[in-house]
Amino acid sequence: MDIEGARRITAVKSEQDAFEALFKAEYARVAGIANRVLADAQEAEDVAQEVFIDFHRLHSASSPYAAPWLYRAAAHTALNRLRGRRRRERREHEQAVDDGSRALDPQNVAELNEDRRRVREALAKLPAKPAAVLVLRASGLSYTEVAEAIGVRTGQIGTLLRRAEAALRKEVTRGTPE
Amino acid sequence: MAHLNDGTLRRMLDDPDAITAPDREHFLTCPECKARQEALSADAREAAALLAVPAAGFDAAAAYKNVTATPARPRFGFRLPILRPSTRPIVAGLSLAIILAVVATASVNVSQIFAPKTVTPVPVTFAELQTLPDLSAYGDITWTQQPTPEIGITKAEAEKVAGFSAPNVGNLPAGISSTVTYAAMAQTTGVFKFSAAKAQAAAAAQGKTIPTMPAGMDGSTLNLTMGPALLVVYGDLPKGENSGQFALPQLIVAESNAPSVTSTGVTVKELENYLLAQPGISPQLAADIRAIGDPTTTLPIPVPIQFATSSKVAVQGVQGVALGDNTGVGAAVIWIKGGHVFFVGGSLKQTEAVTVANSLT
Repeated sequence: MDIEGARRITAVKSEQDAFEALFKAEYARVAGIANRVLADAQEAEDVAQEVFIDFHRLHSASSPYAAPWLYRAAAHTALNRLRGRRRRERREHEQAVDDGSRALDPQNVAELNEDRRRVREALAKLPAKPAAVLVLRASGLSYTEVAEAIGVRTGQIGTLLRRAEAALRKEVTRGTPE
Repeated sequence: MAHLNDGTLRRMLDDPDAITAPDREHFLTCPECKARQEALSADAREAAALLAVPAAGFDAAAAYKNVTATPARPRFGFRLPILRPSTRPIVAGLSLAIILAVVATASVNVSQIFAPKTVTPVPVTFAELQTLPDLSAYGDITWTQQPTPEIGITKAEAEKVAGFSAPNVGNLPAGISSTVTYAAMAQTTGVFKFSAAKAQAAAAAQGKTIPTMPAGMDGSTLNLTMGPALLVVYGDLPKGENSGQFALPQLIVAESNAPSVTSTGVTVKELENYLLAQPGISPQLAADIRAIGDPTTTLPIPVPIQFATSSKVAVQGVQGVALGDNTGVGAAVIWIKGGHVFFVGGSLKQTEAVTVANSLT
């Protein structure tokens, strides 16, 4: 093999190694962000893997923006799924209440299902940026990390977070039956 | 001093040290700011409680294995480009169009090998690609040598599989990645056996009526030979079937032995008339295929007219077909020289594709 060929093969292997390292270092955090939105560990893993595949298809794993890109993509992809499943969840909720009525502790089951549904529905109604800030911060990212992921100055995060928390509370309260 | 804004008050809850000394001094002496922070603190606590989820353990190693695993996994974990399911019929149709065109224009003496020496575009519409009949409904194909693409191998390995040297790009356009992947496929041979009963049954199942197969075609065979082929891909290969998207690599340079077809038991005219009379073959497409100049030496290139424009170009001293345009979205050049079919294409301009094609050594 010529030197150029060897160099290129090495580059391919290095990229693959870098992707594996990135995946293993960030997977839990990326899946955790998706889980924070979806409250469904299995679906969160689907989102996380989809996000990593998309990143790998488009970018080099050694890119300095790799982690922020993954965090943001995880939040947005999960929020998009949440918006898409609102109708389906409504149907499932009705079914869950029916099932819960036959469970050992029907009151608790029904309340838990109701709480989760209301929170996810409220989250899906928030504007994209505040919703992402809220989810990323709740997932344990620092203000600086959230700012990098969203592409805003760190100084703006407090304001975005404050608005998102107020909006979430308002939406949940609005959706709570009297 | 002005009161602290909500953003600053909110951040103080998480990071008390992140504010300036004057802000801190103001806060300590301002009942209004303290009251506002109390209110937003309540919202923050409630939001945190609302977003709480049960702890979940995520196994990164298992997930990585899942992402990179595939039934036909090549050596370094690369996969063939993934197509959306909705595009698969189009690709299948395109493949059929190629086979159909090759078969329909095969040598007058069908026992001889069809050996294309030049290429010509055949316009096809999106609707035609979607409605082209499935060749497998007209008989059975038996691979005597299965197609076995090897992806992510070294240049030397690819050359060994193909039996010829990898094409070398002398003039690589600016911005093309230096990441190169080699792929190769050994020669593939198969026998397609026509079955009148199968064709009629398949048509009946779809509520269609097809012409009766000419006497002598039922049970006759076509011997197909393709490859060996060698691909050089510049830029990242699309990966992961979950991505659900087809991304064109920056540049693909491919070389293959020209395909060949031999036939038994039926004349080329009968084949042509029968295949071009099938449902889904528009009169225009049939006319275009019949209008090809020298049927014994021409490889028709189906060109979806809604997605690509085509033109004849001079490349490497022979006539080739250029597809795409100069937007950079996608372009390709295909030509035949010395018994080999060459392909240069990718997410580049048509002029760049032609330049690359002419620089191949």
